[in-house]
Amino acid sequence: MLLNRESSGERWRIRPDGPGKVTGEMPYLTDLSAPGMLYGMVLRSSCPHARIVSISTEKARALPGVHAVLTYADVPGLNRFGIAHPDHPVFCEDRVRFIGDAVAAVAAESAAIASEALKHIEVQYEALPVLDDPEEALLESAPQLHEQGNIQHRNDYRYGDLEAGFAACVHIVEETYLTPRQMHTYMETEGGLFIPEENGRLTVYSPTQHGFMDRMQLARILDRPETDIRILSSPIGGSFGGKDELNVQPYGALLALATGKPVKLHQSRWESVRAGLKRHPMKIEMKTGTDANGKLLAHQVRIVSDAGPYSTLSAEVLNFAVEHVLGPYRFGAADVRSVCVFTNNGMSGEFRGFGGNQAVFAMEGQLDRLAEMLGMDPWKLREINLRKPEDPGPLGQPISRTDGVRQVWEALVESRLWQERAHEQSQTVGKAKEDSSPPWLKVGYGAAFVMHGAGLGVGIPDPAGGRLRLAKDGKIEAVFGYEEFGQGLIASIEQMLLEQYGFAAEDLRIVIGDSDVVPNSGSSTASRSTSMLWQSLRRLRAPFKGKLRSEAAAILGLPEERIKPLDGGIRDVASGELLLSYSELAERTQEEIVSETSFFYPTSPVERVGAHFMYSYSSVAVKVEVNTLTGRVRVADQFHAVAAGPVVNPQGYLGQIEGGSGMALGFTITEDAVMEKGLYLTKNLDTYLVPTIAELKGAFEVLPIEELPEGDEYGPRGIGELGSVGLAPAITQAIYDAVGKRVTKLPVNPELLQEKVVF
Amino acid sequence: MAMNQEELLRSPAVWQPRTVEEAVGLKQSLGADSAYAAGTTLLRTQWEAGTAAVPKHLIDLGSIEDLSGISETENGLRIGSMTSLTQCRNSGLVGERAPLLADAVKAIAGWSVRNLATLGGNVMYRVGDSVPALIALNAELEWRDGSQLILESAEEWASAPSAASRILTAIRIPGGDGDPTSNAKRFYAYHKVGRREAFTPSLVTVAIQGTLEADGSISAIRIAAGGGQTTPSRLTRAEELLLGESLRAERLQEVHEAVLDQYAPKADPFATDLYRKQTAANLVAAALWTTSQSTAAKG
Repeated sequence: MLLNRESSGERWRIRPDGPGKVTGEMPYLTDLSAPGMLYGMVLRSSCPHARIVSISTEKARALPGVHAVLTYADVPGLNRFGIAHPDHPVFCEDRVRFIGDAVAAVAAESAAIASEALKHIEVQYEALPVLDDPEEALLESAPQLHEQGNIQHRNDYRYGDLEAGFAACVHIVEETYLTPRQMHTYMETEGGLFIPEENGRLTVYSPTQHGFMDRMQLARILDRPETDIRILSSPIGGSFGGKDELNVQPYGALLALATGKPVKLHQSRWESVRAGLKRHPMKIEMKTGTDANGKLLAHQVRIVSDAGPYSTLSAEVLNFAVEHVLGPYRFGAADVRSVCVFTNNGMSGEFRGFGGNQAVFAMEGQLDRLAEMLGMDPWKLREINLRKPEDPGPLGQPISRTDGVRQVWEALVESRLWQERAHEQSQTVGKAKEDSSPPWLKVGYGAAFVMHGAGLGVGIPDPAGGRLRLAKDGKIEAVFGYEEFGQGLIASIEQMLLEQYGFAAEDLRIVIGDSDVVPNSGSSTASRSTSMLWQSLRRLRAPFKGKLRSEAAAILGLPEERIKPLDGGIRDVASGELLLSYSELAERTQEEIVSETSFFYPTSPVERVGAHFMYSYSSVAVKVEVNTLTGRVRVADQFHAVAAGPVVNPQGYLGQIEGGSGMALGFTITEDAVMEKGLYLTKNLDTYLVPTIAELKGAFEVLPIEELPEGDEYGPRGIGELGSVGLAPAITQAIYDAVGKRVTKLPVNPELLQEKVVF
Repeated sequence: MAMNQEELLRSPAVWQPRTVEEAVGLKQSLGADSAYAAGTTLLRTQWEAGTAAVPKHLIDLGSIEDLSGISETENGLRIGSMTSLTQCRNSGLVGERAPLLADAVKAIAGWSVRNLATLGGNVMYRVGDSVPALIALNAELEWRDGSQLILESAEEWASAPSAASRILTAIRIPGGDGDPTSNAKRFYAYHKVGRREAFTPSLVTVAIQGTLEADGSISAIRIAAGGGQTTPSRLTRAEELLLGESLRAERLQEVHEAVLDQYAPKADPFATDLYRKQTAANLVAAALWTTSQSTAAKG
């Protein structure tokens, strides 16, 4: 059954944080202020690559209203950050490597003074050659950006006899795919409020996807114990991976401690574009061959990924891409070589889809091209080569078994949109739309297959867990270390506690985003939060409800089997009568009623770093209309089948697939943070163009396939990224279907599709 | 310290003249440190981008009475320069008498910007997306330099803007209801192509207004094109090819060639010259073809 408001019935709920967000009443962390606070600003490099000859801050310090001007010399601890590889300078010492590099920071009594003070910091640069092409950066003659050289990471994977495989091929496709530097474009830009407390601790109100990771990194920079730092990190006005890494936090923390006053920083969109993370631009070369019947015999892949100047999770993104250029297909032999390269371009990093978007665009493109050579329906070619449930994962690793591959493959064939395509194909030879439409509008259909890994993968600590507690005021507190950045996490926790525990919404208080209070539930990344919430609540159910029941039984003097904790309090099993409210229970219980669980995200028992155990599957079909007068593409209709276990929260589920698809549409047709010689040409949202409602108004259907094999213990797989992955190749295939042109570079260049009008 | 801070925090002084004469007087006395302000939507983006400095004095044209509003005149429409784009868009009069302008205005920026931005401001931008439409409509600009009235065609203004301190007070669009007994049919088309479908800077804009006689010949035609930083101007060669002719397919191919030839777009990093030229030529030819088809269907 298609997922929508009507089909969800009572499960379609108003999310608890919805009204506050829609009316604007709810303050985000960057809306906060404190009495006597100062305004912080960061001086960013004016060169993409230069040696710093000198930094002089005297004049800025002398400006009235300026309380602090900090440089690298003022960092007490490690002058570096980076979740996995801390190589990103908090403040540059003797060299800047990109246009967003921080050289100094200022705290002043007003934003205007802070801004003025930045102009009075004198930095002398000696320009160095700008490395703006990752392939040039690989040349031996290239200037080296780091001690380790310009190679950030390599990852290869191979099996079978590639040469013999290609020798046996009847059809071989060779193609090079290029993907854009996409920006997350969250509505709330990076920022926060940093308060030095009287007791010597530091409180940080700043969005992040993993409060404890920020705390660890800040402790390392400030040279203080982690327990001296409190991170408040939700609610967040969008992140999509972009706020996973530290951004302004080091500057806010250092300025607050240096001045002893609260400091607020909030980046303008201009600064956010300049300093913030983007999706890795990748060049993916593929050579893929089949036998006469379409069986994939050999697959050769070369990936070059542009890391920009520092690491963050570039290596992990590359590992993910290596896994996903193999995807759900079985090859006779495969050889993947990949390299991630340091350049003086903008910072690349974590972004929804995590390297899968680039990989799947290329992989699916190969299948569409091969299908044409074979004279075969592209979807049929996929069927021939798709993995079976018992097959190992893309890297040969054991994975959680589901029938998702077959399920989403079949669902697409049966979808209204694909039936429409079949009907069109049987009706017409030409591709002109309906008779009434002008000759320059061409319609086409395309589809793509996605197998997307969730969780951080083998070799990366991936903790999970949470706590349920009956608070003194009678509220049942659900306490988790996950973050709410718009995806509907709070709504999902509430819905699970209502549906799986029988509590009422009024019984609950959901506590997230405060490192002083929450357990380490791991990061809110990698499509993992809902999955781990579900598993946590499953583990907590018997112990927590058991404690509520036994405490209540003792108070009521009734046998446990006669009572049950439900909505409002403890009820009589037989009559449903409320016997003891939760507030009465909280008041009268001798011991605090609390249950906690902690475990790890399930991983595959292999050594291969990053290999995944849990996967979600999706098939995507689209119908596009190409206007050959202008070469512009309109996506008129979309169908997404998703096999990822049960739908925890229908609104959130639909939102993730629709929202992910909206981002993928931008990746495919409008978005690219264009750079020239290390400088952004798209500096603001008037030239960096995300899709608007005008692009997104086409029809949209989501079919969730909830069924899991009997005995499955893992429940919902992640869907946070899935919707953003498969759309690009489906669109480019639909373009080919419409106008017979192959797109290899995203976003689609309208000039390629434009034709001189003829009547 | 107080002094310094004051200086830093000082916003531009906002002057609110009640009359055009007063405004022009202010501009003349304040000189280069001042700027007229209408909706301020464009100025803001220029200040943010650093392409224009925030002036010390803003002269708010919104405080002058009678600069906004849409009225019918003997010869057509008169739109006050301070009329917001939203007012233009929602105006029944504009929709009826100058639907080409209504279409153009709809394509400018987004809702919130159109609420503030004025038609006069868009004209003053010179590369504003309303300008090709106004040129095609043969609109006249009404300026006042103090008490002196100056009239100038939109076309002239676009080709050679004056830096004088005069104020644009209204846009006059000719054309009444037309002769109700005539069989001639007025046709128009407006197309803006950007890098996305809405709220986008333009790459190419084209505007066409013409008259088709009952015998299928064209008795009047004005075609204008702009887009991006390209100064909007008429495509006279295409017009000449069409005047007195019927919209035959072969003729439309010649028109296509003529547009490719005459339209001279300004480059930016986002689209090539060739793409812009081909787009303008395609849109003009396709719009004329659509006109010929609808006429044929009705005939």
